[in-house]
Amino acid sequence: MKKNVLIIGGGPSGLEAATILKKFNYNVILVERSSILGGHLAKWDRLFPYMEPAKETLDVLLSNIDGITIFKDTEVNSINLLDKSYNVILSNGITILADALLITTGFDLFQAEKKEEYGYGIYEKVITSAELEEYFKTLNNNKIDNPKKIGFVHCVGSRDEKAANRACSKVCCATAVKQACEIKEKYPDADVYCFYMDLRMFGRGYEDLYLKAQKDYAIRFIRGRVSEVSEDINKSLVIKAEDTLSSKPIRVTLDLLVLMSGMRPSSGGEKIKKMLNLMTEDDGFFSTKDSIYSLQHSKLAGLFYAGAATGPKTLPDSLHEARSAAIQIHNYLNN
Amino acid sequence: MKILTSNILQISPSEVIDRIPDSYNNFVIPFVIGITFIILYLSIGLIRIIYHLEKEERITLLKSLFKPKIIIKNIKDIFNDCLIHTKIWKRKPLLGYMHSSIAFGWFLLIVLGHIEVALFVPKHLSISEGSLFYPIFYRFFVWVNPEHVTLRGYFFFFLMDFVLLYILSGVALAMFKRVRSLALGMRHTTKPSLADRFALYSLWAIFPLRLLAESFTADLSGGSFLTIPMNYIFHNFFGNSLNFMPTWWLYSTCLGIFFLAMPFSRYMHILTEPLLIVFRNAGLKVTKPRVGFAEAEIYACSSCGLCIDACPMNVKKKNLKFSSVYFIRFLRRHNTKKINAIANKCLLCGKCFALCPVGIDSPSIRVAQRKTNHNKYEYNYNQINYSSIPKQSKTLYFAGCMTQLTPVILNSLENIFKQAGEDYTILDKDEVICCGRPLMLSGREEAAKELINKNKKIIQESGCNKLILSCPICYKIFKEEYHLKNIEVLHYSQYINSLLENNIIQVKKEDKKIVYHDPCDLGRGSGIYEEPRNVLKSIGELVKADKEREENICCGGSLGSLTLEQKDRNIITEGAISSLMANHPDTIVTACPLCYKTIRNNSPIDVEDLSEIISRNIIKK
Amino acid sequence: MIEFGFGISPSSRINLDDFDKEKWNKLVQIEPEILQCISCGSCCASCSGGVFQNVSLRSAILNIRNGKTDSAMELLKGCMLCGKCTMVCPRNINTRNLILSIYKTYSEK
Repeated sequence: MKKNVLIIGGGPSGLEAATILKKFNYNVILVERSSILGGHLAKWDRLFPYMEPAKETLDVLLSNIDGITIFKDTEVNSINLLDKSYNVILSNGITILADALLITTGFDLFQAEKKEEYGYGIYEKVITSAELEEYFKTLNNNKIDNPKKIGFVHCVGSRDEKAANRACSKVCCATAVKQACEIKEKYPDADVYCFYMDLRMFGRGYEDLYLKAQKDYAIRFIRGRVSEVSEDINKSLVIKAEDTLSSKPIRVTLDLLVLMSGMRPSSGGEKIKKMLNLMTEDDGFFSTKDSIYSLQHSKLAGLFYAGAATGPKTLPDSLHEARSAAIQIHNYLNN
Repeated sequence: MKILTSNILQISPSEVIDRIPDSYNNFVIPFVIGITFIILYLSIGLIRIIYHLEKEERITLLKSLFKPKIIIKNIKDIFNDCLIHTKIWKRKPLLGYMHSSIAFGWFLLIVLGHIEVALFVPKHLSISEGSLFYPIFYRFFVWVNPEHVTLRGYFFFFLMDFVLLYILSGVALAMFKRVRSLALGMRHTTKPSLADRFALYSLWAIFPLRLLAESFTADLSGGSFLTIPMNYIFHNFFGNSLNFMPTWWLYSTCLGIFFLAMPFSRYMHILTEPLLIVFRNAGLKVTKPRVGFAEAEIYACSSCGLCIDACPMNVKKKNLKFSSVYFIRFLRRHNTKKINAIANKCLLCGKCFALCPVGIDSPSIRVAQRKTNHNKYEYNYNQINYSSIPKQSKTLYFAGCMTQLTPVILNSLENIFKQAGEDYTILDKDEVICCGRPLMLSGREEAAKELINKNKKIIQESGCNKLILSCPICYKIFKEEYHLKNIEVLHYSQYINSLLENNIIQVKKEDKKIVYHDPCDLGRGSGIYEEPRNVLKSIGELVKADKEREENICCGGSLGSLTLEQKDRNIITEGAISSLMANHPDTIVTACPLCYKTIRNNSPIDVEDLSEIISRNIIKK
Repeated sequence: MIEFGFGISPSSRINLDDFDKEKWNKLVQIEPEILQCISCGSCCASCSGGVFQNVSLRSAILNIRNGKTDSAMELLKGCMLCGKCTMVCPRNINTRNLILSIYKTYSEK
């Protein structure tokens, strides 16, 4: 009889792991709480650093899902650890006896309204990076009305103890530079500013993207964290920051401000955490068995992690982890 | 002795007769030493305090002693606070009973003793005839002629026994409290020092010993329902009066020990509290941390420890040693290192001051202590000046520094101004000169005054007649230190309340349970509790927090603390939030940008500002 | 060594040898959070005083570390201790106490 593997979370990691586990001839069940597969990837337009359409990657992931039992709009109601398996009850009433569990609950975006000094939800022309990405996809957002001056605020809810997150969210720098280039493509006459603390362009091709942003798109990079946003009489945004490189406070009027929301542990993951008393680190993401060798293992036998459930990751990172997790699960079920 | 008394009996037929030749016995020596010591100590202390007062302060004090209004207030306060302990009664009735029975009872004993002397043997009221001790040991020195006792005499016998019983019930409660302080509603009490123990145990012993001593002599000097039966039992049990003298010696010795230990113990407050009341009613304020008025406050502390439970730093029994009672103890002992540590740590939320039964303004002592450290540093505000005078309008709005970080308050207020048709100007939309209170709280008084003058000048030049503030920190200093002429200073909660009361704006109701968090500087600091609550009642159902109004817990974000670490602040915030959640509200509303930010970062439910919830529900005209 | 007189105008170069380690250690002891600064500039960006004159906690910290304590003190003289910087600091530095601690450490000659 085929062994059951239950995957919680239908984002890129969950889909990729499901595909491989199916090839290993397991009975794969995937639970997704929303009605769309693909997680954040499904909402993205183009990917850094080479501007590939997100849809291409998503299509590849979705092309191999035949033979996988997928429950959309479904949540996990309870999980009980039995002797060598997990008894999982889903919100649609189905009970699954899983021989292995893979948690790919990913991340939620930081709620930008929590940084009230940036005025998200108060000022009309303040949007998040996710909204901008959606705009690139649909070209429909009444807040974006031929902006002449556009600002990007890096590290919103990342590297910020006040937002209860000391950690770097890893992908926002590259996303900001990518989106800065894209908006400049849309509005070539606009002045685009990036307010950053440190520009973390660590991956292959990222530095090229940065160079392109400087050279081809004339993006102005200002090293200083935005501290306040206010509105003037004309409903334009007034941004206060410090240009730390010239040691002077800076003030600039903008038509559009994009907040680069960081990554927070997903609320779905928090629920699973409570059900199984799983460990998390200070940052709120799941603890792995160790920090170097067994990144897909949890402390519980038969429970595995992949993707951003264990901390901020780029898309390629998450896909690697998904494949790695599939192999670890295969090893576990054959021992 | 029997022979002696019978001799006197033959000579004098009056009701009360001196039983002892010279009206003196050696057993009074310990008491006399004690009482002399304490009177000297108190006098020297008083001279010291007055010496350290500024000249103007001395004049105010002197003048106050001749103002009928203040005299009446002094008498009223001394009676209420020192004898009856009204404040403790209100909070914890059992504890109040304990205090008033001992304080008021003892006071009555002394007064009644003197009245008895005045009525029956008036010559002993003169100092040469032993007025220092005679009224105290009256029952030892006299013989009462049983055949001539008047109704008046019986009345006093009864009264003295009754008062003694009243005190003894209080002492019994006090002993019980030591064992089980929780039963009386206190989670933490102070740890007594060595002098405290001496004073405490002698205080406990004084009244039972008095009962014993007076019981032994009740057959000679009169007694009532307590002392007469005891006298009967003693005489039958011991068969003679052998234990007569030792008990009077013990009684006197205990009084002596108590007075000798008093200045070094918490019981000094019994004598210093009336002094403090006189100073305070004269209008004196803490200016220096250890001398002058502050010294009167320090010695008036009864170490009762009510401030330990009150202190928000102790919500999780975290920083017990930072409470006011320990601060004052260290001040008495001149432990500078600890004094500074506590002075800098405190949030200055003012709860200990609000709840202190003696009314010791320990937050001000802390600020005065900070002043000794921080006032001396250089500052330079030469270029800090508004670039333009705001345009003439009747209403001026000063947002202040913190409101710049909560644009929602600024926006909501602007909307309310517009809906109310207010002719308004924002003074500090782009540039803001701090109100000066954060500097004041840090002990940088001189620097603060310079900022106050800068703001004051431009506000007065603007020609406004109403100044609206959104930050309680600003509000408090504008109210207390700015002295703006012909300008009404309002916190926006007051302003919105008056708009609603005068029907200038209307709001629609939300189906919501709202709990209100009192900002420290608005509630305890400025006494504004009702206006924000009135405003909220027009929006939804107002539910109570576990601790509110003057007992409200600081949100933990206070600018008052200089050194409290973020993780300790978070614990305080959690404490405040759990108090707010007591009646399961849907929304927490506050009226301070700092509280708003602090609570919002940690709250499990919605947090809104008062202006925000009004602005959202305003009915547009 | 022969002096050629080139040293008349003071060097604008930062000389890390001027760094007063003893005082720095004293400062770190009273307010260790100074070590947490990442020079993001939030404090200066929100500074009420910095709008009017040159006030900068971020630069002051760097100046101290670079041995230029006098300039550091100049940069803090316009501080009004309003506490906005504490509210925005992403590293939770207790900036008000840090400023007071810098005053305390470096105003004693």
